[in-house]
Amino acid sequence: MSLIKWTEEDDGRIRLGLPSDLDLPMAQPLLDSLRAAFKASVDIGVQADAVERISVACIQALVVAARDAAEQGNSFAILRPSEVLADACEDLGLAGWLKQWRRA
Amino acid sequence: MDDLSRFKQTYFDESAELLAVAEAGLLRLAPGEVDMDEVNAIFRAVHSIKGGGGAFGFNDLVAFAHEFETVMDGVRNAEIPVTTELVDTLIRANDLLARLLSHASDETEAPAGTTDDTVAALRRFLGKDETPAEEPPAAPPPATVYPDDEDDEAGIFGDALAAIQAARDDQPASGGPIPEGKVRWTIVFRPKAELLLSGNEPTYMLRALRRLGEAEVVCHLDKLPSLRDLDAELLHLSWTVTLLADPQVDRAQIDDVFEFVADDCDIRISAEAPPPAVIPPVEPASVPQPAPVSTAANLPQPAAPAAPPTTPAATTSGSAKPGDGAKRPNGGAGGTGGDHSGPTTHTIRVDLDKIDRLVNMVGEMVITQAMIAEHLRDLPPGQFQELLEGLEGLAQHTRELRESVMSIRAQPVSSVFSRMPRLVRECAAMTGKEVMLVTSGETTEVDKTVVENLVDPLTHMIRNSIDHGLEGPDERERIGKPRAGTVHLSAAHRSGRIVIEVTDDGRGINRAKVLSKAIEKGLVQPGASLSDEEIDNLIFLPGFSTADQVSNLSGRGVGMDVVRRNISSLGGRIGVYSTPGEGSRFVLSLPLTLAVLDGMVISVGEERFVLPLTNIVESLRPKPADLHGLVNKCDVMMARGEYVRLVHLHRLFGIPKAIDDATKGLVVLVETEDGSRLGLVVDEVLGQQQVVIKSLEANFRRLDGVAAATILGDGRVALILDVAGLREMSRHNTSGSDAGSPSASPSLPAPADRSDQRQRQTV
Repeated sequence: MSLIKWTEEDDGRIRLGLPSDLDLPMAQPLLDSLRAAFKASVDIGVQADAVERISVACIQALVVAARDAAEQGNSFAILRPSEVLADACEDLGLAGWLKQWRRA
Repeated sequence: MDDLSRFKQTYFDESAELLAVAEAGLLRLAPGEVDMDEVNAIFRAVHSIKGGGGAFGFNDLVAFAHEFETVMDGVRNAEIPVTTELVDTLIRANDLLARLLSHASDETEAPAGTTDDTVAALRRFLGKDETPAEEPPAAPPPATVYPDDEDDEAGIFGDALAAIQAARDDQPASGGPIPEGKVRWTIVFRPKAELLLSGNEPTYMLRALRRLGEAEVVCHLDKLPSLRDLDAELLHLSWTVTLLADPQVDRAQIDDVFEFVADDCDIRISAEAPPPAVIPPVEPASVPQPAPVSTAANLPQPAAPAAPPTTPAATTSGSAKPGDGAKRPNGGAGGTGGDHSGPTTHTIRVDLDKIDRLVNMVGEMVITQAMIAEHLRDLPPGQFQELLEGLEGLAQHTRELRESVMSIRAQPVSSVFSRMPRLVRECAAMTGKEVMLVTSGETTEVDKTVVENLVDPLTHMIRNSIDHGLEGPDERERIGKPRAGTVHLSAAHRSGRIVIEVTDDGRGINRAKVLSKAIEKGLVQPGASLSDEEIDNLIFLPGFSTADQVSNLSGRGVGMDVVRRNISSLGGRIGVYSTPGEGSRFVLSLPLTLAVLDGMVISVGEERFVLPLTNIVESLRPKPADLHGLVNKCDVMMARGEYVRLVHLHRLFGIPKAIDDATKGLVVLVETEDGSRLGLVVDEVLGQQQVVIKSLEANFRRLDGVAAATILGDGRVALILDVAGLREMSRHNTSGSDAGSPSASPSLPAPADRSDQRQRQTV
């Protein structure tokens, strides 16, 4: 199973590297990672360029994380979302959400 | 929103009628002689249009109608005097209301400022000389609430308003006109939280929807918990998809998308089609524009002559005369921006009495045409060719006219069928059985009277099928049937009649039980030998019930005989076919119309009878070798390789001077709905004729073997024969001496009293 890569950068920023396969079983690890990241930092980046498969459960976790970040004034970004992720968001009516949170 | 668009159309149709009421009232309104009933009628018409418009969210229209209504309120409270100027303004306001309705109907916006001048004019009568520009009434905030002291909306538009409100609550703010040739589907998809656990992914479903057309997907995030509370594998999202699709895309295709998740989500699907295009008026410059609310003028018939102006010139003055020519003020903008003359209607309401009068007149015309045809036979052959051809054409047109008139009265049986699912649910709950109702042929059309009288018989039959026919779920499982029983209700046109079938896959008729019950009740002599068909038909005898216990549903022994009587009174028949262990099938056969039928006129002695054409197979003169007599039974004839029972009509009805020998007369081979054949011995076949059905029950009383009566071309009354009835009569007559025969013929309604018994002998 591919894993979520946890990277702490020098400026305190946490970067979560998403694996290629984000099926339903990956939702819980992703959620755990996001919770841990928010505890550890106020600036979270989710690297999403490798995503080739994604379940709506994982997208839901990202949406919840983004909303929490906004509520708490934390910084959150989806970094370089893959085409698969962008298409999935488009299909789910979340293109606007992705546009708001993505960083190239 | 399927229902919503239907209600909308009703609203526009009814508003057109209300506008007509208001206009007629306004035109009669004159200074000095104010009829308060008239004023109230106008007020209520405007008020009702406002109320309905509010339910649909037509804010511009509601705002304007409110101004109009306020002035009318002043008039009815005698606060505003009726002047010519006031009447002119009110008529102009009525026209404007019609235009606003048209815009609402077309889902277009009225040009800005359309109502300004008229609102200003209306307000002057209230003593409020404000200019509308300061307080634009055409664009009120959506939440504007207009005082409402009347409750007539409910009366005019019925319960529709509640349904509309409910529908609106579900409707997303998609808005906007629907492009021509497209259908807008709204799909509200609310998955259960566990949906993902069954391996389903909403992404694929939403993607599949996109393939059906132009989709706008809105994701609802309002149910999302916080990051801390989120359960990773539970879904908290829901979606509303607005799909703009070609008309070819049907509901089934959308249903297919959700086929595998139907149990795991709440899905609401609705459709809206664009409003029909408004037919432009013919030559608006030269043809006087009809009053905007004239129903006739709004019929989609461009070639129809415009309705004459309904305005008496004396009652109006100034520039606002409706119907006074091509020029008409359009919202005060000098005719600009107002391309609507009023709402278009696609239906007209006609009093049923008027239609019945029309049906009657067509019936009389059919008789007259038959009379003329009768006289034509006396003309010397080869002469008056043109007259003959003309009359031939007349006959053809009469037939078409008859069919068109009958189609006005025709209604789909769906209005009856749609009541049945609820009945089935209730019956299933009461009996503890699992029942699936399958219906087909709901669009089959039949005369309104027939439709209305179908409710009770079908209710009885379906109850009967569930209560007596279907087994309980456990019993069904034990004998290898699915737990849920199926009741199939179908309708179809068959040879000029409507055939309705109620089929169940239950245990079928328990013939041993039926027979013993019939013997126990004295309906059948002990030791009688009855065929399976005869035993099955015993259930139609009055007072017959096989239920061991009288249940709430059926089994009071008043069901099936009432069903048979109701069906017979409509000129129909009912048959039952049952296979033990496999189920029963009740077949109702009813005439499509109760007014006219195609018949064959036959003569027996000096009497004339009419045989429905749909029953006739052929007529022939048998050879002596074809005839066979059965001792103590009846005569039979060999026809096309099968034996057919011969019925001598003159014996049955006691007609003197008729031909008794079938080889010297004619045999008309007839067939009943259940396929059994009969040979009617007659003197002569006189010819085919459309006959107008005159009820015998209404004018005399019911006679066995006779469906109705008619008036022939020569003015004589002839009886229309009921073939199935004749068969039963002939059986009764020939087997009457049998000690074991049922006391009444099983498939005939038992005589209600002694007078019926006598009638058999005297007719």
